[in-house]
Amino acid sequence: MFSSTRTRLILSLLGVSLLVGIVSLFIGVRLLYNTVLNEAYTRIRLDLNAAREIYDSRIKNIYTALDIASLDKSINTYDSQEKLHLVSKLENIARKANLDFLGITDAEGETYCRIGPIPASEKPQEIKNPIVKYLIENYGKTAMGTVVLDRSFLMDENPSLAEQARIELIPTPRAAPIEEKIETSTMALCAAVPIYKNDKLLGVIYGGIVLSRNNEIVDTVRETVFRDEVYKGRSIGTATIFYNDIRISTNVLTPEGKRAIGTRVSEEVRNRVLVKGERWTDRAFVVSDWYITAYEPIEDIFGRKVGILYTGVLEEKYVDVRKNVVSVFILITLAGMVVSIGLGYLVANNIMRPVGRLISASQEVSRGNLNPDIGPLSASEIGVLQNTFSRMLSSLRERDKLQRAELLQSEKQASIGRLAAGVAHEINNPLTGVLTFTHLLLRRADLNEEVLSDLKVIANETERVRQIVKGLLDFSRQTELESEPTDINQLVNATVTLVDNEALVKGLKLEFLPGKSLPRITVDRSQLQSVLMNIIINAFDATEPGGSVIIKTGMGYSPGKINRKGIEISVTDTGHGIPQENLDRLFDPFFTTKDVGQGTGLGLAVSYGIVERHGGTIRVWSEVGKGSTFTIWLPLEEKGES
Amino acid sequence: MRAKRILVVDDDKIVLISCKRVLEAEGYQVVLVSNVEEALELLGRIHFDLMIMDIKMPDRDGLYLLEKIKKNWPLEKWEEFPILATSGYSTLDTINNLIERGAKDFLAKPFTPDELLSSVKKILRKGENHGKR
Repeated sequence: MFSSTRTRLILSLLGVSLLVGIVSLFIGVRLLYNTVLNEAYTRIRLDLNAAREIYDSRIKNIYTALDIASLDKSINTYDSQEKLHLVSKLENIARKANLDFLGITDAEGETYCRIGPIPASEKPQEIKNPIVKYLIENYGKTAMGTVVLDRSFLMDENPSLAEQARIELIPTPRAAPIEEKIETSTMALCAAVPIYKNDKLLGVIYGGIVLSRNNEIVDTVRETVFRDEVYKGRSIGTATIFYNDIRISTNVLTPEGKRAIGTRVSEEVRNRVLVKGERWTDRAFVVSDWYITAYEPIEDIFGRKVGILYTGVLEEKYVDVRKNVVSVFILITLAGMVVSIGLGYLVANNIMRPVGRLISASQEVSRGNLNPDIGPLSASEIGVLQNTFSRMLSSLRERDKLQRAELLQSEKQASIGRLAAGVAHEINNPLTGVLTFTHLLLRRADLNEEVLSDLKVIANETERVRQIVKGLLDFSRQTELESEPTDINQLVNATVTLVDNEALVKGLKLEFLPGKSLPRITVDRSQLQSVLMNIIINAFDATEPGGSVIIKTGMGYSPGKINRKGIEISVTDTGHGIPQENLDRLFDPFFTTKDVGQGTGLGLAVSYGIVERHGGTIRVWSEVGKGSTFTIWLPLEEKGES
Repeated sequence: MRAKRILVVDDDKIVLISCKRVLEAEGYQVVLVSNVEEALELLGRIHFDLMIMDIKMPDRDGLYLLEKIKKNWPLEKWEEFPILATSGYSTLDTINNLIERGAKDFLAKPFTPDELLSSVKKILRKGENHGKR
């Protein structure tokens, strides 16, 4: 019991700290991680905006370059210029503006001249250039943006561009199923500017940048937006331009460390972004890692969704943040548990030490030692327990003392009783002789007065001896109780009536204050009455004229025997009191302070025996000069009577 | 009318003498014995009108005597035989026990001549009334 209480205490403390630890871990990690993650999502959306900004600015650059070129005199009047001269002029512009293709068409869109190895053919041809077609069809609008260029256009413009655009598709998990193995079309940033002559459209200058394998934009995004941040040897930030769902320009790397050109976006993203045209912000599995990503569609100049712009940051960084938070929390929880074990041990020790003392003390009490060491008083509730235990011990000691005294008293009475019985029996035979012959002598008529008077003295004194012996026998005799249910107040009242006259003669005030609603108890009426009479007469004898004797009845608890309820009858006088040295001998047989011939010293001894046989007690309080109180206590429940 | 014959059984001589003096003065014929065997022997031979016997508590002599007589005598004679028991020490219990076993009355020691005589007369009167009926 001892150690299990301690263990239980420690375990419950441990449980609490574990619970708090787990809850705070759970909530803390979720809260923190969600905050961090939300931050990451917000950031990635902003990053995507920045990437779009860069993408659009490149288109703007092409337009500006072409716009400025259109003002050039030789281009203004291209139809009157030498083609060779024009081409070198165009090549110069293309080099400055970093254009992959650049050319001039007439008002119908037929190519007049262009840069590249293949010169414009003389024969009329279909307008293959979508941006020029757009410009001519939507006359007056600014023509710039994203266009899809097919292989035939690229072959016309420059076969090396067609080669640049040719991308072998790499099988990608999660991507939408596809039959093609090779993509030959591509996306390009493009612009076209009209050339006027006397307010009439003379021609169009067009140019653009093929996006396939052109990583300038995505790397600029990485450099400017993500500032080339590196985590565990890998770039945190990545950007990609998709044509349809194919990566044509990216700095996402394959596990082998090459740019992941030719891999494809997951089907889920494709459907959301390319088909439905929505923005997508979520964690996504990109090629071989989890990223926090943002995707948005790229529309060409005709408003078709032809590609996707993507930015993403490695999720691992945030996962690691979570891991760190979790491990910090676990560390704190573990520390808390260690502290609670220590604390629990200390607290348990603190509590259990005095409790242990109490346990061993109570064991000692059960072995009979009523003075065990309960250790120093504790300041807590244990102290209250210790105090209570001490009080219980002292009342036990008191009770023990009282019981010993009671036992001693009744043993004393019993042995004296046996002695008295034997003596009385033996004395009664000779006494019969003395009585007989004294009375026979008294009957004789021939005796003179003097002898007769002497004989009368003998007869009287013999009578006294007989009374003493009778008292002795009364005392020793275990007279049977003839008990019956009795109203104590009635009994006391009857006794008071008997002695009323005597009090009046002595000039004493005799008063009876009956207690209310006392239950009937089973007693021997005549014996109890003789006890009462004896005590009342003693009170009369002890009290001077003018004094008072008050009798009270009421409910009371037994002295020593705790919790036993009973009825008390008390007789209080204002007499001379009983000195302390006599109190202890009060109930001893033959103890009397009365003059010789006034009492046998057996009255109280007999009374004590009677009350004891009723299972009751007689207590005495007395103070010399003030008076005495005799209290008879009788139990409520029937006690085994002998 | 012949004098009533009374048997007194007691082991104390002064009690025997006291009884003899008091009862003879009243005209009774008194026979004294000091033990149970003698009493039984006499009771077997002679008719007595009354027996005064000491119970000798805490010995069992008195009770033994009662048992013996009851065993020896016919029931009717036993029931009519007046026995006055005496003792220097007795309780209500022992007195009841004696009456149950055949004693007709009890007289506590010590007694004065008057007390003895009134007890004897009372018990004999009862016997006579019984006899007349």
